[in-house]
Amino acid sequence: MRNFSSLTRGLAPLFGLILFILLWQLASGYYHRVILPPPVEVARSAVKLVVSGQLWEQGGQTLARGLTGFGLAVIVGLPLGLLIGLSPLISSLFRPLVVGLQVTPLVSWLLLAMIWLGFSKVPSFVVFVTTIPLIIINTVQGVKNIDVHLLQMAKVFQINRSRLFREIYLPQVLPYLLAGVITALGTTWKAVAMAEFLSVSTGIGAKMAVSRINLETSDLFAWTFVLITLGLLTDRLLNYLVNKRLRHWM
Amino acid sequence: MIALEQVHKTLGQTKVLDDFSLHAEKNEITCIIGPSGCGKTTTLQLLAGLEQPDAGRIVGTQGMRVSYVFQDPRLLLWKTVAQNVAFVLQDTVPLARQQELIRKYLTMMGLNEYRDSYPKALSGGMKQRLALCRAFAYPHDLLLMDEPFKSLDTPLRLGLVWQVARMWQEKSGTIIFVTHDIMDALLLGHRVIVLSARPATVLDDVRIDAPPAQRNVLQAPLPAIHARLLDLLEGENKKYFPDLYMTGGSSKTPG
Repeated sequence: MRNFSSLTRGLAPLFGLILFILLWQLASGYYHRVILPPPVEVARSAVKLVVSGQLWEQGGQTLARGLTGFGLAVIVGLPLGLLIGLSPLISSLFRPLVVGLQVTPLVSWLLLAMIWLGFSKVPSFVVFVTTIPLIIINTVQGVKNIDVHLLQMAKVFQINRSRLFREIYLPQVLPYLLAGVITALGTTWKAVAMAEFLSVSTGIGAKMAVSRINLETSDLFAWTFVLITLGLLTDRLLNYLVNKRLRHWM
Repeated sequence: MIALEQVHKTLGQTKVLDDFSLHAEKNEITCIIGPSGCGKTTTLQLLAGLEQPDAGRIVGTQGMRVSYVFQDPRLLLWKTVAQNVAFVLQDTVPLARQQELIRKYLTMMGLNEYRDSYPKALSGGMKQRLALCRAFAYPHDLLLMDEPFKSLDTPLRLGLVWQVARMWQEKSGTIIFVTHDIMDALLLGHRVIVLSARPATVLDDVRIDAPPAQRNVLQAPLPAIHARLLDLLEGENKKYFPDLYMTGGSSKTPG
């Protein structure tokens, strides 16, 4: 019995997915294929994207833009977060800026990036400004949660500053940083596609716009699934790596 | 001599030490006992330089290398058992000697087979033993111990008391040992200092002549000292928990 129940638990999500596809198939019978294409047609579009090389060509661009913005956000956000967490002065200086960054409407960034940087750099820039607050805030949270008892211990045993940083501060900030990185990467793919749609003519977001104009709704669906898959894959991969690295002590 | 001279210390709203003085001889084991919250931990933190006195001064600790066993283990959870000890040796001991020291003290505390485990996998008592390893292995002139055997069972406690006594015989050094267990103090201390409840004053200062490693608690004068210390501590407790010591008369029991 136990075997049976664990088997159903494992298969339940699969059944959920099949049910979803069945309902979709059913619903698509009532609507025109431009409004709601049937699953088979979307699958055909997806295969076409792979075979024609569009997936790699456009997906590759989106990936590169997303990772550029996200990578810059980590490179700038981590040290900034550490400084804000460690120094009350820098904290009071930068706090309003970080909050301001968070509440500034995305459309303002988008238009400003068009003016300042030109269209081609808009997607990376938008990813950068949307993900950097996540990195900073999580890093600050990590620094704030550092165990003062461990700092006292290190002080008694005369551990020098650079070791203190590497062996006491960083390991304790790491779980918070990684949580921020996982959230930020989830945001990255959504933000990059949106920015591509509004600013450039290549990449997944731009191709989705073309699909809509050409009334190829099944292509739009296929690209959407590509983005979902990208998000799921990076999320799972990161979670796996984080678990592997932190499991022995968290 | 190491001393606190007329020290005042307020932590938050609490006046922990008020014109408090205490001294300890070098190369001796000084035990401090007293009711909880009387300022024993603060005394050690002042000696270690982790806290500064509001007034008064700390004498004799300048230039001393201090090792410390905290009440809680304070381990680095992201380092293995052996790495936790290596953490404090890295800058002070040559590499070859580090491994030797780590093995010696981990073996002494029965932890050598766990050297590559992480603290998460250890029990509370094992973690405390690891904290003891770290403090013992670290080269020190002054060893401060704050109720180091708190979470350990009695036989293990006694074993560790002997280890501390043996270690002291090997390399002498100054040890200040805070406990609320009279037996630990009787077995280890060259001197036992009894503190009153807050604000702390020295109630009694007993010298025990027999060498720490060769004592029998049943042999004179230890039973008499034990009775005297117990009496003093009970007297202090009565001031703060009068109901706990209430006898006969006013208390009514059913039946």
